[in-house]
Amino acid sequence: MNFVGLWTLIKREMKRSFQIINQVIWPPIISTLLYVFVFGLALGSRIKGIQGVSYAQFLLPGLVMMQVIDGAYGESSSSIFQARFTYAIQEMLVAPMSAGEIVFGYVFGSVLRTFLIANAIMVLGVLLLHTTPTSWGLYVAVLVLVAVLFASLGIIFGLMAEKYDNIAVLTTFAITPLVFVGGVFTSIHLLPPVVAHLSLLNPIFYTIDAFRYSYTGQSDVGLAISLPVVGAMTAAAYAIAYAMVRAGYKLRT
Amino acid sequence: MADAPHQAPAIAVHHLVKRYGDATAVNGISFAVERGDFFGFLGPNGAGKTTTINAIVGLARVDGGRIEVFGRDVSTAWRKARRLIGLAPQEYNFDRYLRVREILFYQAGYYGLRPRDVTTRVDALLERFGLSAKADAFVAQLSGGMKRRLTLARALVHDPQIVILDEPTAGVDVELRLELWETLRALRREGKTIVLTTHYIEEAEALCERIGIIESGRMVALETTEGLLRSHARDELTITLAHPLQAPPPMLAHFSARLDPENACRLRFERLSPLQLSEALALLGREGIDVEAVNTERATLQDVFLALTGRGAR
Repeated sequence: MNFVGLWTLIKREMKRSFQIINQVIWPPIISTLLYVFVFGLALGSRIKGIQGVSYAQFLLPGLVMMQVIDGAYGESSSSIFQARFTYAIQEMLVAPMSAGEIVFGYVFGSVLRTFLIANAIMVLGVLLLHTTPTSWGLYVAVLVLVAVLFASLGIIFGLMAEKYDNIAVLTTFAITPLVFVGGVFTSIHLLPPVVAHLSLLNPIFYTIDAFRYSYTGQSDVGLAISLPVVGAMTAAAYAIAYAMVRAGYKLRT
Repeated sequence: MADAPHQAPAIAVHHLVKRYGDATAVNGISFAVERGDFFGFLGPNGAGKTTTINAIVGLARVDGGRIEVFGRDVSTAWRKARRLIGLAPQEYNFDRYLRVREILFYQAGYYGLRPRDVTTRVDALLERFGLSAKADAFVAQLSGGMKRRLTLARALVHDPQIVILDEPTAGVDVELRLELWETLRALRREGKTIVLTTHYIEEAEALCERIGIIESGRMVALETTEGLLRSHARDELTITLAHPLQAPPPMLAHFSARLDPENACRLRFERLSPLQLSEALALLGREGIDVEAVNTERATLQDVFLALTGRGAR
């Protein structure tokens, strides 16, 4: 095991995140703040509470998940695509680094970036909405699982992409719509029955539902369902990303 | 290197095959680079040089054959094999988020070396390659020559036994080319095994002790540079006469004299010993043929290359 190599890659990913801090760290924090003000505090004051908390407090965990999903996918997909595009990834490919170390390094780099963003939003929640997670263990566990899931998807799409625009396909046509209808803004119990049933087919719904439980202690489908679903999706995505890097897919000719 | 198998060559390539779809880029080539050798890998563009290099360093998956580095199979003992090689690729592939000094530290890190273990070496490499003043600059701020030197410094940061350079002087000016040649000679004196691909034939002739010529994925020559010149090219001697001739003088027939088709004053000979030259001059004098000059043209690797591949290097 090349621990120094792995740590070097993680450091490199963090360095990259801080070099483009105005693109990748401040925007999700500021946009969440705006969501909280506009939807949570302004409009939310006219909405009666959901799951026993105010609408703004209900909204916050969904917003955290939204930024975690976006941040984790964006970090790994753009980083690995750029490294492929500039051939800088060859620095690692000719070095004694295994596929496992490369995938873990990229994923861990994404997890660290999203932890930073998620915790900044969590602190905003404490200061502005007086809400804190009720289960810190679950907060961390779901955060890690979801960050790993979307970082792995980022690696998969970052490897498949032929041009930078390809990376946005998953975000624009799948992630963003599914996040918005996946329970960020409302409980599925408030949706028409048909739409509520359709929501159960939305994989992102389970990530938000499981994470919200760490704040409100309540869930639409129950933690016993959402957590294993998230865990299974994460394991599958990580395994596919690992298999692609191990096979040298679009990395080694 | 204590645990390296004894006597194994630095690089041994056995029946290497690499295909891209229906095209066979490398078609069963075998060769060995001995320890401490300065090996030149020549071939026209698309002949399979870079593909072979990529297979050795792990950037290309092979479809057949085996590659060993100091006796270690690059596909099974890849960690140990890769630690022994430093690659200076043709393309600049630096991490654009890192500064010059960081590029060296991070590359060492990928090879498992902690920053504190390589600080002295990084500083020495920056000094050696004239990059100390640019240590905190980003690559975009470097000149082409500096980027080329950084490529070499990065290849050396983990102190490899083998340095592989893919077209190291492509696109650089004459001054830098000579400077890089001197650096490569110094590395050779330090005991490194050096493998060089180039399409500058004179570069290979000036630097390399052994040469492999690859054409359409097949090795068409593999010899010492001297051996190649001896076996595939000949020095040529020209005697320039005061007056043109209609045909080569019959008394010089046993020296295989030819009349230059473009200049009837020139008689050309291959492999004429000094004794044979004096005899030829005496025979010409006896026949009253005045001689104005005698010139020898040394055979070059370019002649060998053209003879073996039937085309120029580019």
